[in-house]
Amino acid sequence: MNQLTPAEPVVVARDLVVDYLAAHGPVRALDGVDLAVDAGETVGVVGESGSGKSTLGAALGRLLPSRAERRHGSMHVAGHSVFDLAPQPLRQLRRDQLGFVFQDPIGALDPTMRVGAQVRRALRGRQPSPRRSTRDAVAALLDQVRLRDPARVARAYPHQLSGGMAQRVALAMAMAVQPRVLVADEPTAALDSQVRDEVLDTILALTRAAGTTVLWLSHDLNAVARRCARVVVMYGGRVVEDGPAHAVLARPAHPYTHALASSAPSHARPGERLTPIPGRPPLLAGPAPGCAFAERCRFVVDRCATERPPLARVNGQAVLCHRAEELRSTAALPLPARPTDIPAEIGGGR
Amino acid sequence: MRLFTWWLRRALSGAGTLVGVSILIFIAVRAMPGGFAETILGPFATEEQRAELAERYGLDQSVLVQYWNWFTAALSGDFGTSMVSQQPVGAELASRFPVTAQLTVMAILAAAFIGVPLGVLAAVRAGGPGAGGRGAVVGRLAGGLGVSLPEFVLGSIVVYLFSRYALGLSVGGYVPLGDDPVGNLRAMLLPAAVLSVFAISATARTTRDAVLNVLVEPYVTAAVARGETPWAVIRQHILRNAAPPVLVLLTTVSAYLLGGAIIVEYLFNLPGVGSYVVHAVGRRDYAVVQAGVLLAAALFIVLNVVVDLVVGLIDPRLGVTTAGRRT
Repeated sequence: MNQLTPAEPVVVARDLVVDYLAAHGPVRALDGVDLAVDAGETVGVVGESGSGKSTLGAALGRLLPSRAERRHGSMHVAGHSVFDLAPQPLRQLRRDQLGFVFQDPIGALDPTMRVGAQVRRALRGRQPSPRRSTRDAVAALLDQVRLRDPARVARAYPHQLSGGMAQRVALAMAMAVQPRVLVADEPTAALDSQVRDEVLDTILALTRAAGTTVLWLSHDLNAVARRCARVVVMYGGRVVEDGPAHAVLARPAHPYTHALASSAPSHARPGERLTPIPGRPPLLAGPAPGCAFAERCRFVVDRCATERPPLARVNGQAVLCHRAEELRSTAALPLPARPTDIPAEIGGGR
Repeated sequence: MRLFTWWLRRALSGAGTLVGVSILIFIAVRAMPGGFAETILGPFATEEQRAELAERYGLDQSVLVQYWNWFTAALSGDFGTSMVSQQPVGAELASRFPVTAQLTVMAILAAAFIGVPLGVLAAVRAGGPGAGGRGAVVGRLAGGLGVSLPEFVLGSIVVYLFSRYALGLSVGGYVPLGDDPVGNLRAMLLPAAVLSVFAISATARTTRDAVLNVLVEPYVTAAVARGETPWAVIRQHILRNAAPPVLVLLTTVSAYLLGGAIIVEYLFNLPGVGSYVVHAVGRRDYAVVQAGVLLAAALFIVLNVVVDLVVGLIDPRLGVTTAGRRT
């Protein structure tokens, strides 16, 4: 199944372009995404709704809705070109190499089936020893995601679970196969704030133990930067900034990342005003002629509207901005003093 | 405990409905212009003859007394005797019921085994490539035609075609299932087919809508994301979750089919309950009409209870023991 050399990235997107076909014409969701993720990495993909992050996550498993169409580019997962696979190998890739955790934990479980039966289905064909161990395997899996009383949870129906419990069950099902890549699309957005941290801890601990690569899609830059070694910022269907979490958060190289970081509530001290990003995210009908952020950018110059920015390297980050170098040298993007909340061992990064 | 009170409630409301239906039909058959005596004796009978006949069958008493007599007898299982044939109504209905039941069951089975797959196919195709293509248009036209074509039109066409030309099946010639299964099926196939057209179309349509609603649910995406085969996703997740509205529709359709069976039995000359009751209505054979309508109402009530139980088994959120509880 897996003909990878260890050095080869496990996820590679190359100039991926995806449109949604709407009644009034196409809407561009991904506008040329380039991304490479190494095995074992934990990557936070950050962006507003409409930035294309969910589309990117779905593209990993070719789970795009039927009205979505790939226009250009490729997506490789574990060495397989996802969009070129026949149905059977595609299913095998999804089954063996990919795990997904979605936003709505209870909705992601079939309401007509007991939790145990659903977990068993996720395990099917993967249990070396027959019968006896199936129930134990289900209980072990549920125990692994730190659910108290796994036997009771296995007997329950999804609507009898809390959101946090359901998300742990979904995680257990996704991790049942020890996938190479786990895509977590806003896994805690629907959960209470006190449960969030527990669920995130569980996800990251499990994936670290299994050596699974994690793509965590979120709109919360700070939450992601706290827990991931690497942060990828998406805007207008492109990856506009990509680099080590501490660098992206402390010295954002793209004006959008900077605006995002300053608008986060956790950033402000009590009494301080938040700086919202003026304007709204773009709705593209085709390729953006220039930089998608140009309309909202404080540092906009003429060519931003007409010329697509090339990839620039600034500090440790890869940035799509015409003025990235310039902005760094003039220190135009200062951040307010921020609480030190990046643990050194994660911040030290890869 | 909850289940017990549920049963009790359903049984009481069912019994109440039956009493209400019996009162309505009792009044309705007597309100029809031209009573039993007029129908039997004809327009030239004398007043004395009519009075004598009315007295013999107790039709001279007040409606209230008549109903009470009928009601107390019915409670002990005696549904009276047919005033036309002098046969006990209960026995006559019991001997004719299997024909109607077989007809309805065959039509319902056709709806389940043809209509449901068609509906699933339509829904899956609607979401995929080629949606809105020629196939979809033809399917929708056929479905609309099937729902709106009355049995007496379709039945007459079928009767004509199969009587006029040798098409392998003949019209009429009913034999009971127990006596000659093959001959029975040969006689029942055409009427059942005529009856099933509406059921199949309605079922296919409801199934399509139900499946379309389920297809967008996150758990379907999640199942696909786990690498389950399309067939496994359909069988394990989509069919189960789309089943409740289809089952409820099938109950309603089966009530409708009991009505449709009247026409079909008439057309194909089958000795079922429908033709029996229709003849009885024409001759003002009150006891027969009352018992026939009551039987249909009772069947419908029982079917509804069964479907509520089954739906609860499929989707525990809709279960009878959780009804009214929000989670």
